[in-house]
Amino acid sequence: MELNAKQLDAMRELGNIGASHAATSLSTMLMCQIDMTVPEAMVVDIADIGDYFGDEISALVVFEINGEINPGGYVVLHMPQASAIRLTNTMLGSTDENREFNEMDESALLEVGNIMVSQFLDATATLLGIVMLPSPPALAIDMAHAAFANVVSMVTGDINQIILFRTELTSTVNDIASTIVMLPYENTLGRILELLDKLVDLKE
Amino acid sequence: MNGKAQAEKGVNIGIGEHRMDSSLLTSIGLGSCVAVVIHDNRKNVGAVAHVMLPDSNGRTDRPGKFADTAIPTLYNLLIESGSNKRDLIAKIAGGSSMFKQFKGNLDIGQRNVEAVKEALAKVHVVLVAEDVGGTCGRSITYNPSESATVHVRRADGTCTDI
Repeated sequence: MELNAKQLDAMRELGNIGASHAATSLSTMLMCQIDMTVPEAMVVDIADIGDYFGDEISALVVFEINGEINPGGYVVLHMPQASAIRLTNTMLGSTDENREFNEMDESALLEVGNIMVSQFLDATATLLGIVMLPSPPALAIDMAHAAFANVVSMVTGDINQIILFRTELTSTVNDIASTIVMLPYENTLGRILELLDKLVDLKE
Repeated sequence: MNGKAQAEKGVNIGIGEHRMDSSLLTSIGLGSCVAVVIHDNRKNVGAVAHVMLPDSNGRTDRPGKFADTAIPTLYNLLIESGSNKRDLIAKIAGGSSMFKQFKGNLDIGQRNVEAVKEALAKVHVVLVAEDVGGTCGRSITYNPSESATVHVRRADGTCTDI
């Protein structure tokens, strides 16, 4: 899977639009300012996923991409445990940070994930002129690498590289960090690049 | 990573990788993936693979990635370096299932475990211990020069030696 510089740039821009919509929805929910990093689009070897996701306990909300490209791949919202607790504390009006996840946290995280990822997919799909819808979400509270690798194993068979497409959203006020990662199937990525090519000329 | 840090933390076997060594080996964050350890009881060396999928369908470019290619690869590495068949034992960890609801999943964890066991039987290496299945992630550390013990740390904080 080789992407040229222009294609990576276009993917980055696509991520930018999706993530900024997700950031706006998070900002509305938390009623605070959300900063986002410049999105990255990277080709990562599966053996090196450990460089991006370690074995620290995190909350991962996972969605299958449905709609016009079906099956399209997965979108993952990743949040380290401490951030996830602070996020649900903000939403549920609690202040205790040294606690385990409970059912209320889990349902709050699913809801936040749902709103953010729906916005993310809707904005990217609108730009591409297609329909992309998130499946109902699944939540894992586990080692980030373990849960993420589980999702990766659902998209890779013949390929050894994945497109990591990620943006960090942070709230300084509440000290919350999160990452959105899109994991398209190879044919989905091809279709996305085709559609992007129609918008901007991606040939080098 | 500098040499000292590497010696303390060991070499991490990433997804689809494999390695034979006598010093500390780790495999971090196993979900549906399965870590396969084949240990030589007499020479105190071992080989580890981080298996991601059950079946290679004939692909050979990354043998550690698939159960059916990873096990013969580990086995051959050990035999070629002078290990005796009789001294080899196997231990496995991983193969959990976190996202049962997605159709792309089809219980990869369980299929990985089954495929690994089948491949071990084919090369006649006895599986002496396992910590597999369930829904939570695991990390393993294994120091072949010290013993055949594989230390498993689960995401829920519990640890076991197998």
